Amino acid sequence: MNVIDINGLTKYYGKHKGIEDVSFSVEEGEIFGFIGPNGAGKSTTIRTLLALIYPTKGSATIFGKDCIKYGHEIRRDIGYLPSEVFYYEHMKVLEVLKYSASFYDNVNPARIKELADIMDLDLNKRIDDLSYGNKKKVGIVQGLLHEPKLIILDEPTSGLDPLMQQKFFDLIRKENELGATVLFSSHILSEVQKLCHRVAIIKDGTIVDIKDIQEMRRNNYKKVMLEFDGIIDISHFNLPGVTRLTLENNVMEFLYKGDINKIIQRLQGVKLANMLIEEPTLEEIFMHYYQKEE
Amino acid sequence: MNMIKQELRMNLRSLITWCLSLLAILILFMLFFPALSDQMEEFQKVFNSFPPAFQAALKLDTITIDSIMGYYQFAFSFILLGGAIQAMNLGVAIISQEVRMKTGDFLFVKPITRNRVVTMKMLAALILITMTNLILGIGASIVLLITDAQSFDLKTFLLINGSLFFTQLFFLSLGLFLSAFLKRIRTVLPLSLGVVFFFYVISMIQETVNDPKLRLISPFDYFNLAEIMERMEYNAFYLLLWMLLIILFVLGTYWLFRRKDLPAI
Repeated sequence: MNVIDINGLTKYYGKHKGIEDVSFSVEEGEIFGFIGPNGAGKSTTIRTLLALIYPTKGSATIFGKDCIKYGHEIRRDIGYLPSEVFYYEHMKVLEVLKYSASFYDNVNPARIKELADIMDLDLNKRIDDLSYGNKKKVGIVQGLLHEPKLIILDEPTSGLDPLMQQKFFDLIRKENELGATVLFSSHILSEVQKLCHRVAIIKDGTIVDIKDIQEMRRNNYKKVMLEFDGIIDISHFNLPGVTRLTLENNVMEFLYKGDINKIIQRLQGVKLANMLIEEPTLEEIFMHYYQKEE
Repeated sequence: MNMIKQELRMNLRSLITWCLSLLAILILFMLFFPALSDQMEEFQKVFNSFPPAFQAALKLDTITIDSIMGYYQFAFSFILLGGAIQAMNLGVAIISQEVRMKTGDFLFVKPITRNRVVTMKMLAALILITMTNLILGIGASIVLLITDAQSFDLKTFLLINGSLFFTQLFFLSLGLFLSAFLKRIRTVLPLSLGVVFFFYVISMIQETVNDPKLRLISPFDYFNLAEIMERMEYNAFYLLLWMLLIILFVLGTYWLFRRKDLPAI
């Protein structure tokens, strides 16, 4: 069963395009990544799902119900963490969380404490005394306290230190194991790869690809930089799987997809000054999608 | 209920401030009453030397100092102005609160409809306005009874104070409508001050030209205090117009807000 079904969703802000003809589905029980650079339309899509904004065209269903028409019913089972968190500033953390809980039936009061302990959040502080990261923690607790069946996260890790990110990922994984479906939006490929089962890639308001993370890992691109201690023949690295190869002075750069051992073999006997093999940045992955379109 | 409680909480301080300020204005005016009533003839001479239009605009021609109720009615026109600003401010602020404070991503993802949010906020605003009127009513009656218990007249008092409640409801609903209509409100006070003073100026012009057509767009004159004093009742036509406009504003607020895009942060 699909928890989210998006059908040709289009949103224009006046003449300015937000998203165009976005369609994808999120299956029950999966962690679905939603990835794209800033301004690609991730938040627009999510905000439409939550009926914070209204679509120009197209529709979406959540739990099989139209997300606009039955929005208030659907939202009973949605936990949402916005990319920027703002709360009623003069209130204490606990008051905000209790206020949030008061909108749902049967919230277990012990859960607030439990989640706050996990996220190391001080419940007695005032919201306006909190740092950005701590506000984010309030957002996390607030989004999870009513044990939602669908968790929507919009750039959740910004502002969290690595330790907290880890705790947060563990928390999300646990909720997922307990049956929650997760829609995880991010512009950081590595964190999506770490957590998600499938991923939709959005660029300039349209979905460019939907991929299985397992498969993506198999087709993983590596960015290779080699600095030679001498002159090198460019054809030496003209292997299948090598793209966007550039050579400038003694520095060679290319993207490689395939068996990494083949590259290592070619390096035998070559004198290097420096070498770097890294994950390509999201931008570079997107360059790949552009090239495919041409 | 949880939303009403929250809204009342957030507006409590402003409610207290407004009640105290309005009471302070009233007390200040009433302190002048004993001195004024003694020297009214002198004052009247000074006032009479002003151009008639000027006198009318400042409502100086309506001061009848022989009774405290007449003076109260004169002083009350300034309470009306203050009360209108309070109500307009509240109306504009209460619905745009989530957008201005960026808490929309908190409230509007809760399992409630937009209509319900509007209803709860309207109820909260209504409670706040009612409380203002109760507090001011009690405060004003005490001040009046202390100043001159003999000439205190309950019916006149209730009619005059009622005009505050009705005028406030008008500006409250206008404020609600404006905040639903305008795309994004960043600051409330300049907007509400601007609108209220615009209507106050219209009312001043209306006092001098006394044109029934102009009175249609002059909410301060729907409940004209001098007229109420004279007829000891509200003008039925303007009461009807008042009601109609409020219904329109309230329905318009629901209609516009239901389909409104909440801006991203």
